[in-house]
Amino acid sequence: MPELQGRKALITGAAQGIGLAIAELFVERGAQVMLADIDGPGAQRAADTLGPQARAVRCDVTSAADMQAAVDATVAAFGSLDTLVNNAGIEIVKPLFEQSEEEFDRLMAINVKGVFLGMKHALGALVASGRGSIVNMSSLAGVGGAPLFGSYCASKAAVIQLTRVAAVELRPTGLRINAVCPGFIGTAMVDRLVPTVEAAVGVPWDTLVALKQQRLGTVLEVAEMVAFLASDDASWTTGSHYVLDGGLSASLL
Amino acid sequence: MKNLLQDKVAIVTGAGKGLGEAVARAYAAQGAKLVVSDLDPAAARRVADALPGAIAVPCDVREPLEVEALVEAAVEAHGRLDIMVPNAGVASVVPLAQMSYAQWREVLSVNLDGVFLCIRYAAPAMIAAGGGAIVTMASITAQAAVPLIGHYAAAKAGVVSLTQTASVELRAHHIRVNAILPGFIDTDMVKPRKAEFEKMLGLPDFDALVVQKQGRYGTAEEVAKLAVFLASPRAAFSNGAVHVLDGGTRASLL
Repeated sequence: MPELQGRKALITGAAQGIGLAIAELFVERGAQVMLADIDGPGAQRAADTLGPQARAVRCDVTSAADMQAAVDATVAAFGSLDTLVNNAGIEIVKPLFEQSEEEFDRLMAINVKGVFLGMKHALGALVASGRGSIVNMSSLAGVGGAPLFGSYCASKAAVIQLTRVAAVELRPTGLRINAVCPGFIGTAMVDRLVPTVEAAVGVPWDTLVALKQQRLGTVLEVAEMVAFLASDDASWTTGSHYVLDGGLSASLL
Repeated sequence: MKNLLQDKVAIVTGAGKGLGEAVARAYAAQGAKLVVSDLDPAAARRVADALPGAIAVPCDVREPLEVEALVEAAVEAHGRLDIMVPNAGVASVVPLAQMSYAQWREVLSVNLDGVFLCIRYAAPAMIAAGGGAIVTMASITAQAAVPLIGHYAAAKAGVVSLTQTASVELRAHHIRVNAILPGFIDTDMVKPRKAEFEKMLGLPDFDALVVQKQGRYGTAEEVAKLAVFLASPRAAFSNGAVHVLDGGTRASLL
């Protein structure tokens, strides 16, 4: 029997990148997956390629109504909801005080409030499932600072703290809540920030990646960690944040 | 069965009972060929006899020559070494102000020197094999104090540091090194000594404190499942990382 057979998952930001990779792996392991994304048609196209186990819903994670509707759509489609992956997020890469108030507010709304709303509105269904688990997408930027990533770092640290408090408050319900902190992964998001980072650090991107983490991580490697934390194999893991960064944060150099 | 460790050769030290035994069993269930090591030869034999293809190799991890021989025995028996879990550990319960140097050395020599020696001798064999995975058993006491086990906690913090350095030094050889930091588990060194903690700390009920902090005791099998994941190809980008597994203990300040 596939490892995630019978699982019913809702994944935000699932139209592309890491979110899509999580959806693909979950479907491959037997789960039914609702792909939520602010890009509704993109989510639908992705779900179509994944076949009958996948559905799609347009969802702006900054909207409580959208989040509730995504939860309701998942329960309506699959009968229940036992796995929530709060993956949707955006980045801003520029000096902290060149970031506008509007940019800062928008990033916090998506990366932090979105995680809060996801957990808040899925909570009832997850607890009712009797085997609920939440995995929140933080980042290595949530455990360490980096120039040009100021608001992003703050938002991802906030995700870790939300994960901790929610995990402890909800432990009596049996719901497990954990976070994943990837280093640099081969995604469109990372591609976008390469020129800015090169200019700021003064080191060619490939050299920097080779020095810090040997290679880019893959979206599949992140998806594997999410799948582990969502599974019964992690039955005593809650309130934790697991870094996967090829050794970047283990080294001072 | 997922066969995540099919035909991988794995050494687990301190595998004659408790957490080490659970890791050895979980690895064997995933297809690994085990080298079951323990200071107690009979305990190692008992566990190895229950696992197909496993061998038992007694080893005092404080002794460099014995650890070197352990790695050689693995390579001789199974042709290579892919996974090392330096799990052997000891503890005693004593305040720092009363701790004898012998008590300090006993815990540091097994729990820290032993881990160094396992990494020291496993690494060349893994380099020869083209890569591998080392999973160290640290503890949440590496990150925050539990009174009366200062030597144990210092050793475990040292294990985290060794894990980090080894991960960076060895990654060019495709060897990943990761740490597991369990909370209180039902087979660990703390639960059997709870009466000592209650007496020395003036606690009415140690179990009640554990339940308040972490919901319940964890199980060795739950730690073993994380040890399987970290040793497997599924954790290919995890390196030098600490994996807290504690039912939420460290997540809360209270």
